This record gives sequence, C-alpha cells and structure tokens, in this order.
Amino acid sequence: MAATAVISVNDVHKTFKRRVHALRGVSMRVNEGEVFGLLGPNGAGKSTLVKILMTVIKPTRLQGSILGKPVGHKPTLRHVGYLPEHHRFPKHLRAGEVLDYFASLSGVPRKVRRKRVDEMLELVGMQDWKKQRVGEFSKGMQQRIGIAQALMNDPRILMLDEPTDGVDPVGRREIRDLLIRLRDEGRTIFINSHLLSELEMVCNRVAIMVKGQVSMEGTIDDLTSDSRRYEIVVQDDLPPALEESLGTGVTILESDRSRLVLPNADSLQVQPIIDRLRSGGVIIESVQPVRESLEELFMRAVNSTGEDAATPGAVKGKVAKP
Amino acid sequence: MTAVLAILLDSYRALKAQKLFKTVLGLSVVVILGFASFGFNEQGMTFFFGLLDVESEYIYEGSKWAKTLYLGIFSYFIVSIWLGWAATILALISTSSIFPSFLSEGAVELTMSKPVRRTTMFFTKYLGGLMFVFLQVGLFCVGAFLVVGWRIGEWNATIFLAIPLVTLFFSYLFCVNVFFGVMTRSTLVALLFTVLFWFTTFGIRTADDTLSMVQFRTETLVSMSEKSLEAAEDNLKEYQEELVEIRKQGSDSAKEYYESQLKRGELNLEDEQKSLNERRETLGQLKPWGIVLDVIRWPLPETSRTIGLLSRWVEQDNEVSFDEILSGDWGEEGEGSGDRRPREIATERINELEETVPAFQIIGKSLIFELVILIFAWWIFVRRDY
Repeated sequence: MAATAVISVNDVHKTFKRRVHALRGVSMRVNEGEVFGLLGPNGAGKSTLVKILMTVIKPTRLQGSILGKPVGHKPTLRHVGYLPEHHRFPKHLRAGEVLDYFASLSGVPRKVRRKRVDEMLELVGMQDWKKQRVGEFSKGMQQRIGIAQALMNDPRILMLDEPTDGVDPVGRREIRDLLIRLRDEGRTIFINSHLLSELEMVCNRVAIMVKGQVSMEGTIDDLTSDSRRYEIVVQDDLPPALEESLGTGVTILESDRSRLVLPNADSLQVQPIIDRLRSGGVIIESVQPVRESLEELFMRAVNSTGEDAATPGAVKGKVAKP
Repeated sequence: MTAVLAILLDSYRALKAQKLFKTVLGLSVVVILGFASFGFNEQGMTFFFGLLDVESEYIYEGSKWAKTLYLGIFSYFIVSIWLGWAATILALISTSSIFPSFLSEGAVELTMSKPVRRTTMFFTKYLGGLMFVFLQVGLFCVGAFLVVGWRIGEWNATIFLAIPLVTLFFSYLFCVNVFFGVMTRSTLVALLFTVLFWFTTFGIRTADDTLSMVQFRTETLVSMSEKSLEAAEDNLKEYQEELVEIRKQGSDSAKEYYESQLKRGELNLEDEQKSLNERRETLGQLKPWGIVLDVIRWPLPETSRTIGLLSRWVEQDNEVSFDEILSGDWGEEGEGSGDRRPREIATERINELEETVPAFQIIGKSLIFELVILIFAWWIFVRRDY
C-alpha cells in the first residue's frame, strides 16, 4: 500500500525583489510517519520552502497540500508544530509562559495547555526552568524550549529548521534521541539541517536542494545504492600474479595496493575472492561492506548540478520561465 | 478568541515588563499627589496639604469658583499637559517597539506560522498598544476622581471621560507609529517619524489658529474703521451744515473755527479711508492663506481639539468658566465687558468658534485619518514576506 503524503508540493517558485530566484520549481513529498531531512548548502532555498509551507512567506507559484489541505490554509497549521531557525522568544516571558502563549495561538484549550506545559518541559529536560525568563537562557536552552513549543499542540507534523543549532554535543544527542522517540510514536518530522551525520542517524528519506531546486530525493539506502561496495584489506601489497587471477570484478587502488574494492558486490560474490586470496597465501586484515556517507552523497549532489557548492545564495537575475 | 486573548495578554505582559511603564505610573502618582496637595478652606486656598494658606474673596471651600478652578486645573492643565504631552511622549517611546519587535527576524516566524489570520494579529496587536495608554489613564482617572471628590465634595464621573479621549488622541499618533513600524521594522525610525508628524500637525494647527486670530483681529479693525469712517463722515456733514449757517450769520471767528474743523475732518476722513483700505487689503491677503491652511489641516487628526473636548464636557454644568477665573474676570457687572481691544475680541471669537465645532466632527474626522493610515499599515503587514 502506498504511503499517505502529509506534505506534497509541486513546482514551487519564489522570486524575491530584485529578481532573486530562491526557489525554481521545487517538488517533493513527505509521507506520514517518516523523518524527512531537507539538506542543502547555504542559500539553497531550504528555509524559504519551510517558510512557504508555514505561511510566513507567500510563494510566487505553488501547487501542493499539507495534511490534505492547500498550502496556506491557516486552520491546518493547528496540527503542525514549527521551530524556526534563529528563533527569538519574547524576552519578558518565562519558559512556561512561552509554551502557554504559543499553544494558545495554536488554539490549544487552557486546560490542555496547563497539563502539556509541564509535560513538554519535562520532555526537553527544562522542568526546573519553568519560572525563569527565556531572555536569560543560553542558546541551547532556548532551542530546547523551541522544540517544546513546537510540540505543545501535539502536532501531526513537526517542522524543525536547524534544531541542533547552537546546542552542545550532549544536547544534540538528547535532541536526536527525542527525535527518534517522536518518530517511533509515528509522528511525521521534517528536518532542515546542515548536520548531515545527525540526519543520517534519524532520517528515513532525504531531499538535497541546490540553488533553489531539488537535486536528489529518496531514502538514504536508495540514494547510496550505486556506491555500495566491499573493501578487503590485506597485510602486504598484492602480488601481480594473484591480481590477474581475481578477475575483472575487483579493483585494486594504485595508491594503496593492499586495498581491494569490489563495486556493487554482495556477500556471496565476496566469498570466492576471499578463498583465492587465502589460497594464494595472502593474509586478510579486514573485509567490510562500505556505503557512501550522507556527506559524500551531499557533495555528489551539489557537484552534479554543476553549481559551486561553496558559493552561497539563490540564483539572481533572469531565469527561463517554467 | 483564545488567540486574540493570548495576544492581548502578551501585550500587557510586554508593557508591564518595561521599566517605562512603571516609571509613567510612578510619575502619574506624583502628579495626582501634587493635585491633591492643593485644596480649599473657609478663608481661601491651601497648598502642600495645608502648609500654606492663601486667602481669597472668591475662591474658598464650597464656592462655585473653587469647583470650577479645581476641575479646570484637571482638564486644562493635568490632562492637557501631563496626559496630552508628557505621558504621551513616554507612551510613544514605550509602544514604538511593539510592531518592530513583533516583526523582527526570529520572532515573526513563530507567530506567523500559527493558525491565526494576519488581520487578526495586526488589529489585536494594535489594540494591545493602545492598552498602555488606556491602563495608565484609567488608573490616573481613578486617582483624580478620588482627589476631586475629597477636595470639592463632588464625585464627578465625567472625569473618566479622559480615558476614551486621551486614548483616542493617542491612537491618532499611534497609527502613524504603527505604519512606520510596519514599513521600516525599526523602533527608532517609527518613533522619529511619529514625533515629526505630531510636531508638524501641531505647527500647522498653531499657524492656522494664529492666522485666524490675525484675520479676526483685522476684521474687528475693519469694522472699527468702518464705524470711525461713518462717524467722521457724519462729523464732516455736521461741520458743513454748521458752516453754511455760520456763513449766513457772518461771524468771522466762528467761520474760521468751523473751516479749520472742516479741514481737519476732511483730513481725518482721508486717514480713516486710507486705514480702512489698508486693513481691507490685509484681510484680502490673509483669506487665501487661511483657506490653504484649512485645506492642509482638514485631513489631519484633531489632536488638541480631542483633548479639549474634556474641558467642554467636564465643565458643562458650571455657572462660571475656567477662562474667566484665569483672566481674573469674576463675572461682576461692568468688568470684563465694554472697552475691549481687538485682540481680546478675536480671542473670544476663536474660543466661540472652537466651542461650536461639534464633537462628532472632531472625532469622526480624526478617526477617518486613523482608519486610512491603519489600512495602509495593515496592507503592508498582511502582504509582506517575513
């Protein structure tokens, strides 16, 4: 059975003043219950896309829906929690008041709010700071309160823009564990982040955006399947006579002749190679399956577009009309 | 409704958290105490809670002058100067940051992403700003009400009219503040433009009033010149008739006297005519400028007139006016009337004219201005990308 899409957008365009094309025909789909990671270099248009979904920015053109309603339908946002990047809470409010205030804006009834304020503060480990003004909090504490705020309305979709920004390693781990917990509860999570290693650990699917367009989209397994390989490391450089007997399916690196690479091989295909090496008197140090990391995939996506990944910013000037 | 209440509550919390809110409240208490320190006894007036006594023939405990003076001080000085100027400037400083802070990066995304319409957010936030003045003036009026009741024994509920009037007056300025706040997202720019706007309207109003004063004074002078001219013509006619009679009777000395009087009368007539022509010319030159200033003033909000409504309404049942007390006119026959100067007549005409401008016109016209400015601000607010 096909998964239900909770977010589905097609051909999203956004052009700001002075002909800055932030989004150039973005299409993507987020399925119910999955953790979806949106990656991309600075200025790729990730935050613009999230802001469009959250009605903070108006699109130039858009076809799409959130929870079955057109994007921009305000009442639907009752079921969406959002943590913006570089968010700033009113400094005069205390932690408990922040949660209460934003939950009331989401239409959460007073009785429910009272209960959830304590629950959410406990969830993010901030229960002892309820009466403290948020203006006195560190960046990491503000981030935790931000996540709690986004969860106050018990959302079906949680949109997090750089959730671990400014958080120390311990805090990051806690946030990651929290996300895994929320994922296991069946909540849909949409994460926008630069921290690829963290996304790799929690995301089911990712999309990589470059210069206002989606360059790749899919599960990490699917996207990295072409790069799957086995690597065998032997003690000394491989003798040339033995190398010929291994066949064409094995690549030996010129720079390191003790390392054998078997592209797209599975465990069964590796066994005869191991046998031949052992019968040839070669000492095997390690045999391991290797897959492209998300960072490598990210760099490949950026380079495949022909854009310079190091150059931030959207496309400026005239673009061909879609 | 939950969201509207939440925004209003947050506005209240934000204002309460400001030191300026407490400062203004503290200063209001000082002003009220100052007001309360002035009172009356059977001999006259008392100052500093009875430390200083000043005997007065007219102003003493229970006299009609005492009541008018006390309410006059409230509406003419305390409301006009403290609430109408000082407290308003402090309120503008406090509230100027409401929209720029609300729309600042990092804060706006949090609220705009909630299921609340931007229009609702805008107008609720606007009301939240007015709440500053409403609360301050409300508390101030409670104090003033108690002081007036204690000092003159009259529990005058019309004092509470200051709450809507001062809030209205503030709203004329606050809408400009919101417009620039939404447009530039800068507290400082919004405050500067609001103060600039306020002083501009004040300048235009003062110029218009001054011109009207000069115009009325010139009209009075023209009218006086016309009367003088008429009198000079009558005198001349009289001398001419007398001279005809004298010439018939043939007395040389009398003839000489009347001829010299006739000559002087003719010169006087010439002078009066010249003076009249000059004044008419001046009047002719003033009128177009008066029209220009009226046209410029028309769309602007009536800030001081709105505050001025309070003195109209609070005083309405009294037999004497506060102006009469200030001018030392105790309403006795023969004094204050009669040989008045053109300037006094002009002032009186202006005051009469002000009294005839209906309240609905003053408030209605100003509210139209406010509405137009708010529509522009709202338009920017709801259409902008954040």
